[in-house]
Amino acid sequence: MNLILEGREKMKRIPIYTLIILIILTLTPLTTVMAQENITIELWDILTQSEALRPAIKDAIKRFEADNSNVNIKHIPTSNDNYKTKLRTAMSANNAPDIFMTWGSTGLEKYVDQNKVYSIEGVDWTKHFPTTALSIGKFNEQQYGIPVQGVTPAILWYRTDMFEKYGLEAPETYKDLLKVVKTLTDNDIIPFTLANKNKWTGSEYYMYFVDRIGGPEALQKAISREGAFNDEPFIEAGRKIQELVKMGAFPDGVNGLDENAGQSRMLLYTDKAAMYLIGSWSYGIMKQETPKILDKLEMINFPAIEDGKGDPSNLIGAPAQNFYSVSQNSEYKDVSVKFLKYLADKEMGRAVIESGNMPVVKGVAKEIEDPYLKEIYSMGQKASHIQLWYDQTLPLELAQVHLNTTQALFGMEMTPEEAANQMEAAAKEYYGE
Amino acid sequence: MNKKELMNNKFFIAALFLLPAVLFSLVYLIIPIPLSAYYSFFKWDGIGAMEFLGLKNWSKLLSDPIFWSSMANNFKLVAISLVVQIPIALFLAVLLTRKIKGADFFKTIYFVPMLLSSVAVAFLWRYMYDPTFGLINRVLNLVGLEQLTQSWLGNPDIAFYSVAAPIQWRFIPLYMIIFMAGISNIPQQLYEAAEIDGASNLQTFFFVTLPMLRSTVVNASVLIIVGSLKYFAMIFALTGGGPNHASELMATYLYSKSFTEMNMGYGSTISVALFLVALIVSVVFLNLSKKDVRN
Repeated sequence: MNLILEGREKMKRIPIYTLIILIILTLTPLTTVMAQENITIELWDILTQSEALRPAIKDAIKRFEADNSNVNIKHIPTSNDNYKTKLRTAMSANNAPDIFMTWGSTGLEKYVDQNKVYSIEGVDWTKHFPTTALSIGKFNEQQYGIPVQGVTPAILWYRTDMFEKYGLEAPETYKDLLKVVKTLTDNDIIPFTLANKNKWTGSEYYMYFVDRIGGPEALQKAISREGAFNDEPFIEAGRKIQELVKMGAFPDGVNGLDENAGQSRMLLYTDKAAMYLIGSWSYGIMKQETPKILDKLEMINFPAIEDGKGDPSNLIGAPAQNFYSVSQNSEYKDVSVKFLKYLADKEMGRAVIESGNMPVVKGVAKEIEDPYLKEIYSMGQKASHIQLWYDQTLPLELAQVHLNTTQALFGMEMTPEEAANQMEAAAKEYYGE
Repeated sequence: MNKKELMNNKFFIAALFLLPAVLFSLVYLIIPIPLSAYYSFFKWDGIGAMEFLGLKNWSKLLSDPIFWSSMANNFKLVAISLVVQIPIALFLAVLLTRKIKGADFFKTIYFVPMLLSSVAVAFLWRYMYDPTFGLINRVLNLVGLEQLTQSWLGNPDIAFYSVAAPIQWRFIPLYMIIFMAGISNIPQQLYEAAEIDGASNLQTFFFVTLPMLRSTVVNASVLIIVGSLKYFAMIFALTGGGPNHASELMATYLYSKSFTEMNMGYGSTISVALFLVALIVSVVFLNLSKKDVRN
C-alpha cells in the first residue's frame, strides 16, 4: 500500500512540473521581444483590395519601415460600412488601434471630445497641406488628423456613346435632365444607376437637390436651428427625387442593391444604365475594374435648378478625405506621428495621383497629367462652396435619421413631408429645441 | 480540512476544473443579462457619460413601431421555419435512414449548407437575387416567366421572404441529422410488427415513426423557435434589415441601435425585451408540449 501511495505522490508532481515548464516557455519569447525593441503598430482604415487608394498607403508603409527597421506596421483594412461600426465599437471598448482613419468633421470630433485622440499639433502640417484641408481635422485650435485625399466631390458620370446614340446632350439644368431621363426610359435604358442599400449613395441626390434649391444656407440654418430640417428646400428635394423615381430614373429594387458589391457599376458597364452620380473615388475604382469604360465616360457637375438659390458650381463632397489620426491610448504615439509624416510628403502625393485619386499634399497638383483628375481638380477650384456629406457633417443620431428617411424616399415609402418632418423631429430631440 | 484532505476531496477537484468554464460563462453569458437590463435605464453612447432616463427607454420601446414590426417579423420567421424545416427535415431523414445505395453520399451532400458560413451564403444569394444579372431572374426570363421576376431584395413587400428562403436552406440539414439520430433509436421490432400488420409506408410513417419521434420533434421545435427569435446573421448580411426596416428582426434592430447609432441604452432595452420574449415563448411552448406527452 505504502509504495503505491508513494508512486501516486510522484505522479502528482508531474502536472506541477509541466505547468512550470509551460510558464517558462511562454515567458521567454516575451523577454526576447522586449530585448530587441521591435515595435508593432496597428493601422485601421478602409483600404481593402477593391479600394484604388490602397497602393499609396502600402507604399508609405514600405518607405517608413525601410527607414525604421525596428517598426512593423500592421495594416488592417475593413470594408467601408463595416469599418464605421468596427471603429465605434473599438473606441467604446478602449481598444482603438495606434493609427486609425476617419472622415474628419463630426465623426472625428466625437472621439476628440471623449479624449480618445492624440493631438498632433506639435508638427507644422501647414507646410504640407492647405489650411482648408486641415480645417476638417482641426478642433479647439489643435490638429487631430491629416488627410490623404484632396477634394472628393460627387460627380455625375454619363455615357458619351449612349448619349450620342439617342441624340442627347449633357444636362445642364433640371429641365434638360427630365428630357434626358424620358428619352432614356423610352429606349429601355436606366437613366441613373444607383445601389441604395448603403443609403449614402441615394443621399448624394438629396444633398445636391437641397443645395441647388436652397443654397448651402438651407443646411447651415437647419443645423444652427435658425431654420429647420422641414424647411421648403428639404421637402422640395424629396419631391424631385420621387418625381424621378416615378419616371423610372433609377434601377428596379434600387434599395436592395449594394454599392460595395459593385451592383451599380455592373449596370453601367453592361450598357444598361447611362449615368452614375458618385464620389470621385469612383474614377480610381473604374480605372481598376474596367479601364476601357473610361473612353466612353465624361463627367459633369450636378444640373442646375433654374429658380434655385444654389450656385450651380457648388459641389457636394469633401474638401479633403480620409483623415489619419493617432489614438490616445496608443503605446507608441511618437512612432505613429512619425509615420503620419510619411503620409504628408510628395511621394505620397504622387502615389495618390497614380492611384487615380486627388492628392491633397501641397506642390504636387501641377504634376497631375490625368485629364479626369485635372477636371475634378478644376471643378474643386471653381466651386464657390463645397458641402461636406451630411452623414459626416451631422451628429451621428441625425445622420442615421437622414440616411433612413432618404432611403425611404427612394422606395416611395414616405412622402417628402413625412421624411422632412421626421428629420426635424429628430433634430428637435437632439438639439433640445 | 487540511490541505491533503482538500486535494483528495472529489468536489473540490471538480470545482477547480469547472472554475475556468464557470468564470467564462459568468462573465460572457450570465452577467451581461442583468447588466443589459441596467443599461436599459440610461442614455449612453458607449464612450461618454451615462444619463439616467428611468423608464423612458421602455416607454419608447412600447410605442416604437419599428420594434413591433421587427418582432412580428421574428414570429413570421418562427412560423415559416417550423412549417418548412420540420417536414422537409423529417422527409429527408426518413429517406436517408433507409438502406438505399449512396445514402452516405447523400447525407454528406445534404449537410453542406450547414458547413458554409452565413455571410458566404448571404453573398451567394445576393448575387442570385440581383434583379438584372442574378440567376433567379435570368432563369425566369429564359423560361418565359418574365412577369414573375422581382427585385427580390429591393421590394419591401417581399424582401423579408426573400431572406427567409436561404435561412431555411441553411438549417434544414441540422434537423435532418437530429431526426436521423432519433429514427435510428426506434426499435426495429416496431417496424417489423407494422409490416406484419400490413401497414403501407405512409401508415408506417404516421403510426410508428412519427409518434416515436414526438420528443425529438418537440426539441427540434424549441430550437427552431428560440433560434428564429434570436436570429441575426443572414438578414444582416443580405439586407441589413432594410429596405426601410421591411426585413428587420429584433436582433438586427438592436444591432443598428447599439453599434451604428451608438445608442447603447436603447439597444440594451431591445435586447432585454428580446430575452423576455424568447423566455416566455419557450416556457409556454414547453409547458404545452409536456401536457401532450403525458397524454
